[in-house]
Amino acid sequence: MEDLVKTKTLWKDFSKEILTSKSQTLVDILKKIPLLSELSRRELKIISKFAYERTFEVNEFVFETNQPGAAMFIIKEGEVKIVKQNENNEFIEIALLEAGDIFGELALLDSSPRSAGALVSKPTKTIAIFREDLNNLLKTHPEIGGKIMMHLAIITGKRLKATTNHVMQMEKEINNLKDLLNEKQ
Amino acid sequence: MKNSDRIVRSRVFYFTLFIFSVAVIGLLLVVLQDLVLPILMGILAAYISLPVINYLWRKGIPKSLAILILLGAFSIIIFVIGQKVVSVIPNEKENLELRIQLQYKLDQNFLSFLGKKDYASEGNIFDDLFGDELYQMFQGLSSYLAFNEIEVAEFQSYIDSSQVSSRILFFYNENLKHPILPILKNDDSKAYNNELLPSISDGKSDSKIALFLSAISTWIIMPFIFIFVLIDEGEIKSFFLNIVPNRYFEMAFTTFANVDKAIGNYLRGTLMQSSLVGLTIFLGLLLIGFKIQAAILIGIIAGISNAIPFLGPVIGLGTGILYAMIVEGIDPVLPFLPDNPIFGVLLVVLIAQFLDNAIFQPLVLGKAVNLHPLVVVIGVTGGSIIAGFWGVLLAIPTIVIFKVVISTVYRQAKAYYIIY
Repeated sequence: MEDLVKTKTLWKDFSKEILTSKSQTLVDILKKIPLLSELSRRELKIISKFAYERTFEVNEFVFETNQPGAAMFIIKEGEVKIVKQNENNEFIEIALLEAGDIFGELALLDSSPRSAGALVSKPTKTIAIFREDLNNLLKTHPEIGGKIMMHLAIITGKRLKATTNHVMQMEKEINNLKDLLNEKQ
Repeated sequence: MKNSDRIVRSRVFYFTLFIFSVAVIGLLLVVLQDLVLPILMGILAAYISLPVINYLWRKGIPKSLAILILLGAFSIIIFVIGQKVVSVIPNEKENLELRIQLQYKLDQNFLSFLGKKDYASEGNIFDDLFGDELYQMFQGLSSYLAFNEIEVAEFQSYIDSSQVSSRILFFYNENLKHPILPILKNDDSKAYNNELLPSISDGKSDSKIALFLSAISTWIIMPFIFIFVLIDEGEIKSFFLNIVPNRYFEMAFTTFANVDKAIGNYLRGTLMQSSLVGLTIFLGLLLIGFKIQAAILIGIIAGISNAIPFLGPVIGLGTGILYAMIVEGIDPVLPFLPDNPIFGVLLVVLIAQFLDNAIFQPLVLGKAVNLHPLVVVIGVTGGSIIAGFWGVLLAIPTIVIFKVVISTVYRQAKAYYIIY
């Protein structure tokens, strides 16, 4: 009798886990991403309906340079290198991304070609969110779509600021080097 | 080494799976071909109504309620229009009377066109020039209306039981003065061997009920397909995207989205345009004095056939003129409209076509899928050979869908560097 009860509860837990775990974990993962952090669980559940999970093997490309961008990717687990090819066709690593990071987010704005490739360096699971779905979301749930777009704009703005700072820093260094060169001459 | 083994194994696996799936789907298509049309129409109806559901959903109506509302609205429309239309569809006796009437009127119109009093007398200039050729063409046309032996016997039984009005009887006797042989249909020759007229009316109603039931049993699937396609929240799309390899994932999604948009626009645009043309013709026919049932029926036929470029308007016009030829006592609502119903129909169809080209088409932007006239003609003819009436109706949408899918896949495959 006890065994039977045990088996029953086991099955109950099992079915419960199957029924709830997928969307639960997906919502949890989405919740951790800065881009979506301001959304409520209910809103994230709506987004999880068009979040596509993909599994990649080592040395597989998530996307390659110059392909038209259609989706943003979130790393669920694993490791992705953002790479660019040099003149000798070697891949130069620009950034190394881990679980919780996002990449290719500019594809949410338009379909302009990818500026770099994304190469998987450890077995990786990603979640893809497509621009087309986001555009539909803007029509069906403008408040959710608006929040995402706002955050996307903020992130892009921060990156632009960082890049501007970087450029200014480099200009300064170049000027310093020029001065140094002039002094030596 | 291990890796290449795995690649070979997975290739063999996927290839076998593919062949197996194709074989199973092909077999099912052949065995269940009666279900193909209801399923297709269910998907089509759901697809066309999707924006309405989304609109209602945005207005705060739950999706399931929105689907129920739509289903209810469809049922009521089909029921009301169906009742009106069924009341004008002739039964066996009316069908025979209609053919007698039509043949008589055709005769009269033909003779008056040639300026003759009867077939023996001299006619006008048309008669002198092409009289013989026209007569042959006319005979060909009339032979579709002429009775075969069974029908003659059948009609005689109506006359004997004095169910036929004196007017029809007059037409019938007039027609008999220059008899035309009927075209032999395949089933007619079989019917000759069968027992003649085994209690006409009873047998007919039985077979109608049987036909109705068998149609119901296959078409009952349509509302289910409709509901489940509408309830779906991307699961169907997810399933197909999940089986796409990583390399083609983004491309597959974009292709899917673009095809969806183009076909959706085309179908909704065509539906909108056809409805507007049908409505215009319906209102026009009402104004020139047609009965409301006839106007609805001709409006529906003209609207549906309008989905076929070039040929559609001709079908609508033909149906209208055919009705105008047999109808009597036409009384235009407005005094300045033409008394002659044929001229009236011509005017209505012309106005509808003008409105279609000048206003409806520019309004409905989605119909921008251009097909060469040759493709349309060959497609529609081919469709009629493959699947009869439904083939004629669905040929152009099918060709458009193929065109959109192939061109989009090609464009995307190029953009993603998958092909050169």
